[in-house]
Amino acid sequence: MTVQGRGGRRERPLGGRVARLSLALALVYGGLTLGAGYWQVFRADDLSRDPTDAGMIAAARSVVRGRILDRDGHVLATSRRDASGEPYRVYTDASLSAPLGYASRLYGSAGLEAAYASELLGTGGDDPASRALAKFRPRGQRGDDLRTSLSLSLQRLAVQLLGTDRGAVVALDPRTGDVLAMASTPTYDASGIANPATSRAAFAAATGDPGQPLLDRAIQGRYVPGSVFKIVTAIAGLSSGAITPATTFPQQPAAESTGLLVSGYRVRDGHHPFTGSEVLDFARATEVSCNIWYALAGLRTGGAGMDDAARRLGFGAPIPFDLATASSQLTNGGGPLPGGFADNVELANAAYGQGEVLVTPLQMALVAATVANGGVEPRPRLVTAFVSPTGAVRDVSGGTLGRVLSPGDAAAITAAMTQAVEGADGQRFTSGAQVAGVTVAGKTGTAQLGGTGEPHSWFIGFAPAEAPTIAIAVVVEQGGHGGSRAAPLAGEMLRTFLAAKP
Amino acid sequence: MDPLTLAVWAIRLAFLAALYLFLALVVRALLRDVRAASRDPAGALGRLVVIASASLPAAGSVFPLDAVTTLGRDLGSSVVLDDPFSSARHAVLTFRGRGWYVEDLGSTNGTLVNGVPVAGALPLGFGDELQIGDVRMRLERGLR
Amino acid sequence: MTAASLPGFPRPRIRRRELGLLLVVAGALALGNLSLGLTRNGSLGLVDPAGLLIYLAALAAVHLALVTAGRRVDEVLLPAVGLLGGIGLLLAERLPQDLVVQQVGPAVLGLASLQLVWLVLALVIAVVVAITVRSDRWLRLYKYTWAASGLGLLALTFVLGTDVNGTRLTLDLGPVSGQPSELLKVILVVFFAAYLAENRVLLADARVRVVGRLTVPPAPYLLPAGLMLALALGIVVIQHDLGAAMLFYAVFLCLFYLATGSKVDVVLGIALFLVGFVLLALVFPHVRDRVATWLDPWADPLGTGYQTIQALHAFARGGLLGTGLGAGLPTVGGQLPIPAVHTDFPLAALGEELGMAGVLAVLGCYLVVVARGLRIAAAAADDVRALLCAGLALVIGVQAAIIAAGNLKLIPLTGITLPFISYGGSSLLVNGLIVGLLLAFSDRGPLPPGEPRRARQRGGGGR
Repeated sequence: MTVQGRGGRRERPLGGRVARLSLALALVYGGLTLGAGYWQVFRADDLSRDPTDAGMIAAARSVVRGRILDRDGHVLATSRRDASGEPYRVYTDASLSAPLGYASRLYGSAGLEAAYASELLGTGGDDPASRALAKFRPRGQRGDDLRTSLSLSLQRLAVQLLGTDRGAVVALDPRTGDVLAMASTPTYDASGIANPATSRAAFAAATGDPGQPLLDRAIQGRYVPGSVFKIVTAIAGLSSGAITPATTFPQQPAAESTGLLVSGYRVRDGHHPFTGSEVLDFARATEVSCNIWYALAGLRTGGAGMDDAARRLGFGAPIPFDLATASSQLTNGGGPLPGGFADNVELANAAYGQGEVLVTPLQMALVAATVANGGVEPRPRLVTAFVSPTGAVRDVSGGTLGRVLSPGDAAAITAAMTQAVEGADGQRFTSGAQVAGVTVAGKTGTAQLGGTGEPHSWFIGFAPAEAPTIAIAVVVEQGGHGGSRAAPLAGEMLRTFLAAKP
Repeated sequence: MDPLTLAVWAIRLAFLAALYLFLALVVRALLRDVRAASRDPAGALGRLVVIASASLPAAGSVFPLDAVTTLGRDLGSSVVLDDPFSSARHAVLTFRGRGWYVEDLGSTNGTLVNGVPVAGALPLGFGDELQIGDVRMRLERGLR
Repeated sequence: MTAASLPGFPRPRIRRRELGLLLVVAGALALGNLSLGLTRNGSLGLVDPAGLLIYLAALAAVHLALVTAGRRVDEVLLPAVGLLGGIGLLLAERLPQDLVVQQVGPAVLGLASLQLVWLVLALVIAVVVAITVRSDRWLRLYKYTWAASGLGLLALTFVLGTDVNGTRLTLDLGPVSGQPSELLKVILVVFFAAYLAENRVLLADARVRVVGRLTVPPAPYLLPAGLMLALALGIVVIQHDLGAAMLFYAVFLCLFYLATGSKVDVVLGIALFLVGFVLLALVFPHVRDRVATWLDPWADPLGTGYQTIQALHAFARGGLLGTGLGAGLPTVGGQLPIPAVHTDFPLAALGEELGMAGVLAVLGCYLVVVARGLRIAAAAADDVRALLCAGLALVIGVQAAIIAAGNLKLIPLTGITLPFISYGGSSLLVNGLIVGLLLAFSDRGPLPPGEPRRARQRGGGGR
């Protein structure tokens, strides 16, 4: 390095070392730059949207949350100011506690209030662009409104019909995935939790209730499905080609009385003695809910085929949704058979909905919706649009979760499910699900829990069968046979919905 | 966007811009210095080689000379002599068109050229020895 | 030609570049002040115009003093330091004034006023040192005396000092309290520079073979420096000041490299430090806690990890352009989200309010100061002065890097200050001293003539 303009300096190797040291320092500062970039750009979004972020907490205290509306514009959640001028939430109906959750100063937030906190508080939306733009707007006093797909009347009806029983109802539009109702009982007093005057008492009541109302059974509850799972077996068998609608099993009529021997275990049926020695095909087996037929169908499809179809439907992972969902399972896994089954006995039991199968009501509603939608599984969604205080609407696009089975197979299953509700023998099990003037397709389930308790009462279905506009899944914990509680409840829901929509 | 928000944003961005303007100017100054240094050949007029020294600068050091080169203990001198017998501003070497001259600046212990004390401005030739305190230096031709 | 007419004689010399840069700095600080005012009051106006004017006047006075003194010292250091100090003042102005309160006579001074007082004092020290220091014999000759006094100061603090936040850094002397470890930085750099420069040949050439091709300097020459370092580090670690220990060691390694050019030794030094640090972490619970908090602050989000997590959230809220001075740091229940933000986390506050753009600009300023200092070192007359300047510059630059890295969770958090921006009287005064010394040693001597007399009269432009 040469010297500058001052007489009296000699060349020195120090210059080179200084240059190298400067470079090293520049690299260190470059590292600092990368560190700053990591926190200020890369992780900026998820940190600043965290509910524990000081900015979010401050916004929650000063900004009025946007309202939450149902599909027809009815207000589901709004804000009021208390004596000291701070806003608090008020919910229209306790039946909404599962999907909406609550927002309170003491206990944070849950449900949609938590999932969409930054939109409701006006600190920006899901994409960095809108959040950057939000900074340019003057700190507003109100956040965006949420427009949901819920129907207030259907939601109220679902909770009312469930009554004092614990259970869940999920109703959605199979064409778009819009969730029309998402009920979980028992409910809790979300307004009580949100109101600062009653916060503590209401929250204590909710957490102390042995019925666990804070658990959203519709998306987090995992139940033994019973016979409603046979639709999944049907999907697996038909799409893998192991069975066709004409498939029959010659050993099936005899096994009705003696039980089906599978690897030393007897699969018993016995709840459709009226079929006598009739050899059942797919539609008939579905109509009378034949365990033997389905066990054989499951064995023929094989563990891999079952597992494959189940994964396509969304089993084994949380379902993409506005709220966090639990994942449904075919088996606890770890077994040597393909799909993780321990042995053929488990596979056979799983095929008709027992074994180690656990499902969420949302998952089963999606199964029904997939069949209703010609084999394409819709992506469920609760929020359909954001409306800013100035009136600007930002739509949330829907979507699908992929094609699960061919339209032909879906049609065959639709026919079988239609027979299960409308057929002469089917009505023995599902009479409550019928709706006058409309063809309903569906399947009941009676989930045996072992022990001496009552089984879970299940129903999944859709209507009208020719061009479905609603798919539904109902589970009533320990409600008895499928036809005792779930089917009539579903029928009432379908009737109300279809009557309102010409 | 109302005028107040616009003003807030304009001034915020202007502040950040001013910070970067400062940095840009500094970087430009640094680059200019580096370029000036490489462009500016030092030592073309002559060099001062230190033959013997009890302290700093060490013996064997070579100093490129400018047309005016001050010698002394002061940090502001062109050639800084750390010798205890050197004054703060001891002497100055000047190149006056044709040749080198050395002048003592009223130092305490005086300056010697080839053993002879300097009075006034003395012409200095290449190869002549200069002594300040215990430091002996020789004027040599510059590198072209 | 007589002595009086020589250009080397101290006659007032215009420093054009410095003036220009200072004007830019003044403009930037005014804009920052206006920005804060807009956010705070909603109208166009300065916040505390008296404070801003006093500071700018101080900078102008320093500039004029340097012009009058006529020495050709560096013209970039003062504006860079002035900008950093001004940003620190803006931050102090923006934070609640009751974070630090001190009674001075009849007046009660808050955070910004105290910061202003210390800054002005620091500038005074800098300019006095820059003008009056004309020789470095006193530093060079008495290096062992300096070392002893440094250790003595450290021991004094250990014995008489008061515990603040688990670290014994403060020495209370009646109404004034200070942190001697700050001054220790300068003393140690002086010692290291002098020692390494004098022995650089021996350290570099007369090497002793350890194993294979690995050679180290001979023991008798490495020992004093090594002992000194170990002693300082030991006391510092016992006093729980990890930041200072890291700083001393890093500066020492850099100076060692500059003196000997041996990259192998540097790598060895780093390895030794890491081994030592791991041992310390195993033995001392407080070191272990610091490392645990660094690795996963979310393990204890309301306790030890709270400060770090809040700082990271502040950076995240800032994003690219920041929320604007005065608009960030949302108070929760009337309290700032980050505890001790004015001393430990000023970079997080700047990160939130000025965004990544502001953080990079501030880091850039520190890099400028260090680069300038290293350049002064490269152009210095001899080894001791070169190492001295390099060491002083590195103290500022490495300290800023250490605290910035701690704020950003790149290394464990330490308690050292961000030079010129953090609140802290001792820190500001010592940094002023450092800048003063750098300026003094950057004197470039007389302007080479050959330019027309007219230009010489004008001062010949800034270079």
